[in-house]
Amino acid sequence: MHFITLESRPLAARGLVIKRSMVSFAITLLISVLQISAFGQTNGSGGIVLSGKVTDENKEPLPGVSIRVHNTGLGAVSDVDGNFKITLSKPNELLTFSFIGYKTLQINSGNRSTINVELAADHKLLNEVVVVGYGTQERKNLIGSISKIDPAETKGIPTGSFDAQLQGKVAGVQISSSTGVPGEAINIRVRGATSINASNDPLYVLDGVFINSTSNQTFSTGGKATSPIADINPSDIESIEVLKDAEATALYGSRGANGVIIVTTKRGNYDQKAKINFSTSQGWAKAAKLWDLTTGPEHATLVNEWWINTGKDTPSLNRTEANRPFRPVSEGGRGLPEEQKTYDRLSEVFQTAHLQNYDLSLSGGTKTTKYYIGGGYNGQESILKPITFQRASFKVNLDQKVNDAVTVGVSNTFSRTFRNQARAGDGPAGGLLQAALHTPTYLSPTNENGELVGRAGFDNTTLLLKYYDVNSTSLRYIGNLYVEANILPNLKFRSSFGIDYNNYDESEYWNTYLIAGSPSGLATSSIGQYTTWINEQTLSYRKNLGAKSSFGILIGNTLQSSVSSRTAAEGRGFANNSFTQISSAAVTTSSQNWSKNTLTSFFARADYNYGGKYLVDVSVRGDASSRFGKDNKWGYFPAVGAAWRIKQEDFLKETRVISDLKLRTSYGITGNQNGIGDFAARGLWAGGSSYEGLPGIAPQQLANPNLRWEKTSQLNVGLDLGLFDQRITVELNAYRKYTSDGLLQVSLPGTSGFNTYWSNAAEISNKGFEFSIQTANIRKSDFTWTTNFNVARNVNKIEKLANPLRYGSRDLILQQQGTPLYSFWVYKQLYVDSQTGNTVYEDVNKDGKITVDDRQVYGSIWPKFFGGITNNFTYKGIDLGVFFAFQYGNKIYNHNKFFGEGGGARDAARVIFASNNARWQKPGDVTYVPRPDGVNVNNYRDGGSRWLEDGSFLRLRSLNLGYTIPKTLTNKLRIETLRLFLQGANLLTFTKYTGLDPESSASSAANQQGIDLGTPPQPRSIQVGLNITL
Amino acid sequence: MKRINYFLALSLGLSVLTSCDSFLDVEPKASISDEQTIFDKASAETALRGVYNAVANSSYYGTTFQSIGYLSGDNIQWTGSQSQIQEFINHRVNAENSTISGAWIAIYATINRANQVIAKVPAVTDPTLTDALKNPIVGEAYFLRALAYFDLARTWGGVPLITQPTSSPSENSGIKRSTQAETYAQVLKDLDAAEPLLAETVNRYHATRKTVWALKSRYYLYQKDWAKAEEYATKVISDITNYKLLTPYSAFFANNVRGTQESVFEIFYNGTSEINDHRGQWQPQTNGGTRQWAPNDVFVALVNDPLVGGNRSALAAKDNQSRWYGNLYYRSPGSDPSYVIRIAELYLIRAEARAQLAKLTDAAADVNAIRTRAGLAATSASSKDDLLLAVENERRIEFALEPHRWFDLVRTGRAATVLGITDPNRYLMPIPSVQLQIDKALEQNPGY
Repeated sequence: MHFITLESRPLAARGLVIKRSMVSFAITLLISVLQISAFGQTNGSGGIVLSGKVTDENKEPLPGVSIRVHNTGLGAVSDVDGNFKITLSKPNELLTFSFIGYKTLQINSGNRSTINVELAADHKLLNEVVVVGYGTQERKNLIGSISKIDPAETKGIPTGSFDAQLQGKVAGVQISSSTGVPGEAINIRVRGATSINASNDPLYVLDGVFINSTSNQTFSTGGKATSPIADINPSDIESIEVLKDAEATALYGSRGANGVIIVTTKRGNYDQKAKINFSTSQGWAKAAKLWDLTTGPEHATLVNEWWINTGKDTPSLNRTEANRPFRPVSEGGRGLPEEQKTYDRLSEVFQTAHLQNYDLSLSGGTKTTKYYIGGGYNGQESILKPITFQRASFKVNLDQKVNDAVTVGVSNTFSRTFRNQARAGDGPAGGLLQAALHTPTYLSPTNENGELVGRAGFDNTTLLLKYYDVNSTSLRYIGNLYVEANILPNLKFRSSFGIDYNNYDESEYWNTYLIAGSPSGLATSSIGQYTTWINEQTLSYRKNLGAKSSFGILIGNTLQSSVSSRTAAEGRGFANNSFTQISSAAVTTSSQNWSKNTLTSFFARADYNYGGKYLVDVSVRGDASSRFGKDNKWGYFPAVGAAWRIKQEDFLKETRVISDLKLRTSYGITGNQNGIGDFAARGLWAGGSSYEGLPGIAPQQLANPNLRWEKTSQLNVGLDLGLFDQRITVELNAYRKYTSDGLLQVSLPGTSGFNTYWSNAAEISNKGFEFSIQTANIRKSDFTWTTNFNVARNVNKIEKLANPLRYGSRDLILQQQGTPLYSFWVYKQLYVDSQTGNTVYEDVNKDGKITVDDRQVYGSIWPKFFGGITNNFTYKGIDLGVFFAFQYGNKIYNHNKFFGEGGGARDAARVIFASNNARWQKPGDVTYVPRPDGVNVNNYRDGGSRWLEDGSFLRLRSLNLGYTIPKTLTNKLRIETLRLFLQGANLLTFTKYTGLDPESSASSAANQQGIDLGTPPQPRSIQVGLNITL
Repeated sequence: MKRINYFLALSLGLSVLTSCDSFLDVEPKASISDEQTIFDKASAETALRGVYNAVANSSYYGTTFQSIGYLSGDNIQWTGSQSQIQEFINHRVNAENSTISGAWIAIYATINRANQVIAKVPAVTDPTLTDALKNPIVGEAYFLRALAYFDLARTWGGVPLITQPTSSPSENSGIKRSTQAETYAQVLKDLDAAEPLLAETVNRYHATRKTVWALKSRYYLYQKDWAKAEEYATKVISDITNYKLLTPYSAFFANNVRGTQESVFEIFYNGTSEINDHRGQWQPQTNGGTRQWAPNDVFVALVNDPLVGGNRSALAAKDNQSRWYGNLYYRSPGSDPSYVIRIAELYLIRAEARAQLAKLTDAAADVNAIRTRAGLAATSASSKDDLLLAVENERRIEFALEPHRWFDLVRTGRAATVLGITDPNRYLMPIPSVQLQIDKALEQNPGY
């Protein structure tokens, strides 16, 4: 494996040397500087002077290689030309040559004085083991498109759930954290979105268990929902694989159309002594900026201006200067503008939030047993009071070899997630952020009697903060028990039984000081239980056919059942605010829900590998779902894939510069049934349509016995390229997805008495490419610099949809045939007429007037491209990671500003943003903000494009700075490693968006993304911590 | 070998288990199949309650449909952020308006439920469901369908006439609009069908023959058939033991009363499983509402004018920030009834009909019945025109928070004068644009 090269090898072509030199020029330059300090420690006196040259496999000199003499503390580093010189005290010393990116080599010096060494590149990436559907594979043999992520780099980002932390890390996976509230649901899309009414979320598989990723929250927090993924402690995760193309996801058949995220948690190792790991961090988070509001006098001025303007526009309103609202109190007005005060509610509700995290784990193993035990606590305050997120988790993974052939193991994840919640999104009653942001600043929080009062239809923020009592507790168990047996040398059987159990307990209490609790108090409680069990058998056979080729067969089946049940109760009418339990309420109501679905599946895969050169595989999965009509329960999902490792061909074997070249392609069909009701295909009548308190029944849903699987076909073509001994690796994928039989709630004419029925009526396409590149820019023993960059583009289009569908506040989002999903539907503001001060909108149909027919699709939530760039540096014990995420070309609707830049027309009902001060006032004024007029009349029209903004951003998502205390010091304390770290998240954001956060979205509903209203921004945070391994 | 057998047996066993079809048969618990719905006495009765439940829906008499009637008048202002409410106040309703869309859907849902009862109950063979029990069930369904078509006709004009239940997605769509006259004819047909099936009893939460008379009276008023309007109004008013104008005005709604003698037909909400959401729009924040719509300055002045509002000033109250709010719907949780027909309306229908028929003294007497109850002096109007104006003004205050003002001004041709609407096309609401998109057979009202 490792060898000293004494034989001569053909020299690389001259041209290659030049190219190679160019690449390493910068590296060399840096090294020469660093060498000044690196050298000088080996000048001993006496002894044996050993010199030599270190080269790589291509005979190119390797500078910066560390050479250490065993048990002496002596060492040296190779110079720019790969030469080194070291003085040994005696012969037969054991020398260790190490260099990042190359396999470490140990040689006995013998009696030699010259020693030339060739280091072999460590093709770690090629041999990296990747988890695929129902098995693992070495990366070099992969046919499908799979990204593997090491969560270590991102796990400190304070978001609560590991998926939110992956933003910008995986090419083609778009992740939007729409809020600054930790542990809230996010939008995650693998290669675009395929469905309008069914789910677009990927399938999450944790240690073999298909886990729930749909929020169990039933209470309203203004459109947002909690994430069940936040129940999982990111610190327990060993690796995350994202399966993207049909070949990779085919074995998940019915579930794979939106990609699969496979999460593997940490396990021990056989024959490993017990290792204790402790890490902790403390941090602080703060909003980078808050909204810029008008002062009281500015607000009053604008309202007066609106009053007089509308009076001129419509004389019958009788609005004049004389009766303007802000006229002297003596004239019956509210006082002159300059007499108004300004009240700041925003700084009352925002805070510097405290973040803390503790993780303790023990792992190890004997010859036949391996274990991992982990416990963790994560506590995060939101920057918006009084929201908190607290997760305590406990993890036990155990594997036992029963005998040579049989292994049994368990994975257990327990967690308790407690949340103090608040309505941070849309909605007046209890809407905390809206109350603070949308209440006009001139309105006092107290009335003339000095009592705290809510204004403009919102709650009083002081009272809200004092009496807010909305919380939820999620108890989660995810477990899996498996037995694996080698029945014959080549035949392996595995059976597993997994459970995802979630008890979700929510309660809220609103006392009489709050709108929701007026006039006599309101308490609600809801307890939901969600259980999925899954049983799975696989039988796999692998055989070598002669020396060169091999084939494998896998067959398996799964059975899955999911039951959800929920009991909720509500009480109104409390004697006074001291009573908060439903049992003490005068009027109580309760409800019960139950639903269940089952799935049974068979799958098979066969693969063939010829000489590590040609790889093909074929797979099929059949799924039957209880949700579909009798004759449509089964769906079949086949896939084929092929790869050609061109590098293994003779004509490339000698091409030194290319260390790997592989062409891959796959085609397959995957399905989707998530997101539709468990009984969606049936004709139903419901009870509960009571009258006079007596039972009533009514039609609920029309039957569609033809309801069947949504199917997505996907073609993927990929190229893997490695250069210079894998110092540069490139992965390129192009894909085309086409979804047919798309599950859709088809609108029915009102005359039918129904609104919708479930049907397979939509077609959607996604086309795109993904590019990622990893480079080892500098690989010196004590200084390294690596860069990972990925960028992806996805073009989404609704190919077939009979009737347009509108979503979101004021129909801001339109789904229609021919345009992408989640397109914005607006009146396009061209300019503000500098003579009249009025907005000029594009008259699309040229009929001379602006009507709803002039609304047009103008951009969508989809970026033109998105990705991330990570630079990691190590210098001796110091490590630095700088990670930027970016997206470009997406739109976001600044709905806060729509209200805040209402020109004064909402008078005392809404705040006015400072940006409204730039409005047109007199002929000749050139501005984008028109003169104040009525609500939704012309200038401040609902759905105007003035508030539709460019949501592109470049964000310093995380910055990690660590220092590992030298082992020489820590070893004395019996500490294996001790690392101190500083981590920053969202420290910098470059964007043209005028709101606080270009990722904000008021709603967690898929069809209402991209509308920013009443949402706290993702905070800027700093954490310090330490990590000890004993 | 033993081991192999063991594993094969295990996997085989599991495969057998999966092939069981029963594993994939999951039955809902909260719903039943639509294949067998109305088949006995109990299911016939519960299906009829389902029709009332649809009338009570928040999009119909719960809130939304009602709001079209009063927001489009001149008594109410809007204080919230959604401009779609302002469209009614400005009389510039767009086809995209979500209120009209919601009301349209809710009314047709009511019609479908009524059609289910009308089509299926007569065929039920349960011996315990005697004709005496069966007839009122069908009759009430006819009445509710008549009410639904009446509301459709006065709001939108002619609409598609659906008289059969929907059992598959292809049914009851693609049907062209009938004319307004044809739609009103359907109303009369259903009322005529209901009348003999219903007993001449009093039930304020269910339709009886007397309820049919009351709606017929209103129907003939809208048809300008003054004689019949007077005749049917008299039929109800003459039952003085059961129907009375209560004094003071607030006696029909204040102090949590329901089903008073004032009421001819009101929708019942029990306040637990049946909630009337209407209060939420009217009550101020301190009472847990949004006060999104509130009495406007003009109306506040009128209702508090002792010569105009009288004791009807109970309709408006002040909150802790000295803002006026409407107080007809106030109970928490929402158990306020929705008032469909009050005896006061029948007095004012008869007053108007009599004025039109030049029975001026009788007309004045009916107006004065309303004024006396409100604590006001007798009307000074004596001419036909003055009396008609007096009726109009009484109706404005009397039904300020009920769905009348807009329909009254349109029906009498006074909308142009009173509300300043210059475009007569605005007298009808636009067909919801979403419905036009889904159903190509529908045509928009002119001017939209």
